[in-house]
Amino acid sequence: MTALPPTQVEPHPWRGLAWLSRRECHRVLKLWKQTILAPVIAALLFMVVFGLSLGNSISEINGFKYQVYIVPGLIAMAMAQAAYSNNSSTIFQARNDRYLDDILSAPMSAWQMHIGYLAGGGLRSLMIGVLLTALALPITGAPLEHPLELLAAVLLLSTAFGALGIIVGVYAQSWDNQSFINNIVILPLIFLGGVFYSVSRLGTPWEQISHFNPLFYVVDATRYGFLGASDVNPVISLSIVAVITIGLVSWSQYLFSTGHRLKP
Amino acid sequence: MDVLASQTPAALGVKGLTKRYGDGTLALHDLDLEVPAGSFFGLLGPNGAGKTTLIGAICNLVRPTAGEISVFGHEGSSMHARRMIGIAEQEPNLDKFLTVFETLLYHGGYYGMAKGEASERAEQMIDAFDLRAKRDVEAPKLSGGMRRRLLLARALLHRPNLVILDEPTAGVDLELRHELWSYIRKLHEQGTTILLTTHYLEEAEALCDEIALISGGRIVARDTATGLKDSHGVGTLEEVYLKTVSSGRIALAEEAART
Repeated sequence: MTALPPTQVEPHPWRGLAWLSRRECHRVLKLWKQTILAPVIAALLFMVVFGLSLGNSISEINGFKYQVYIVPGLIAMAMAQAAYSNNSSTIFQARNDRYLDDILSAPMSAWQMHIGYLAGGGLRSLMIGVLLTALALPITGAPLEHPLELLAAVLLLSTAFGALGIIVGVYAQSWDNQSFINNIVILPLIFLGGVFYSVSRLGTPWEQISHFNPLFYVVDATRYGFLGASDVNPVISLSIVAVITIGLVSWSQYLFSTGHRLKP
Repeated sequence: MDVLASQTPAALGVKGLTKRYGDGTLALHDLDLEVPAGSFFGLLGPNGAGKTTLIGAICNLVRPTAGEISVFGHEGSSMHARRMIGIAEQEPNLDKFLTVFETLLYHGGYYGMAKGEASERAEQMIDAFDLRAKRDVEAPKLSGGMRRRLLLARALLHRPNLVILDEPTAGVDLELRHELWSYIRKLHEQGTTILLTTHYLEEAEALCDEIALISGGRIVARDTATGLKDSHGVGTLEEVYLKTVSSGRIALAEEAART
């Protein structure tokens, strides 16, 4: 072996953030069949089975064919689940195998670590969103009425569910905990948030109860971006999604800032 | 806030460090320690004495309950302090999604190195630690010895001034152990401060300028190997170890009973 001398080097925390973000994106792309392809196929199957196969036997909703109406909700659902599951698994795995220590001991601030971990879920979610949009619009004929509002909605939902993934990844004691939250909390709330129907059709009191479901606003804001139609005012939907995002990001930032459950 | 700041700051200054875990376990109890810059310092103690907790606290991996840490005069959790430390932990904790080269490259990035510099340095370390044949192999596919080499290469990649080695030769065959020590000795000769924990007393005696014995979360003895033997009136470091470690355990038990 040949010895190499140590030298003085300044810390460059921004580089640390860039490399952590790159590592998280590297993981997403390395596992692309699992992280990108599988969710895209699953969402497309929903569109084909529920939209194109059953769509003709279901009357229009709010003036849209059924196969068009369900596209925004299915894209939002795929994006939300991707951001969540990516970040919950990457954090839990890094904790479990202790290679998180290489990040925690590095000269990076807590918020830089936080953003670095959000990047992977964000990339995965947005890639799925772009692919599904590119495939679903020509297949179903769904429009893209308000791209800026749509961009705001998907950025917020990717960030919110990415932060939720980090929170669950930090608190999880086992792999089961993550799938439990996904299957028992996120998936039912998204389904009940109007992916396959308009909550205005539910009638009292279910319509009002649906408005207490935070995922309803995620779906509704995304639907407004695509179709230009929504159950509630899009400003209200986006505002509520923004508040949810701020709350979840603040919580996950707290975990990095304090080291709670990340460091004994 | 800097602690133990002076004209020539110590590589490591620890003052009043206490760590009580959530379950009530007192792992470190008002521990004071100063490791001079440029020294080869050994930290010996039984399992559960507080060695790994102390190292974790120094490396921002454990949240101290109380106390202060400084690294070359910088506050322990500051960016500068963290940039100056390299750690090879006891358990091989390698990123399973990265190859040998990527493990080193990304580590350099996390520690603020530019891509070109990190890449060049990674290739150097691959050669220095005889990892060339495994350059593009992912960490889970490496043998135990290769993982150890990679851990050490990673710890040294960003050219730290203080290298912390937590039982780096545990489970390593004799040949590799001698290779690793040879490399670490050369690093030390070039000015790098080494803090080593090991269960191999004869190695600590042969390598370290100074040795501290930790037991019950406190430093219970500290001197050169010869000084420790003389002050305890015994002929071997093992005898010093056995005498001091038992006294530390008794002190911890008394402390636990009081609290």
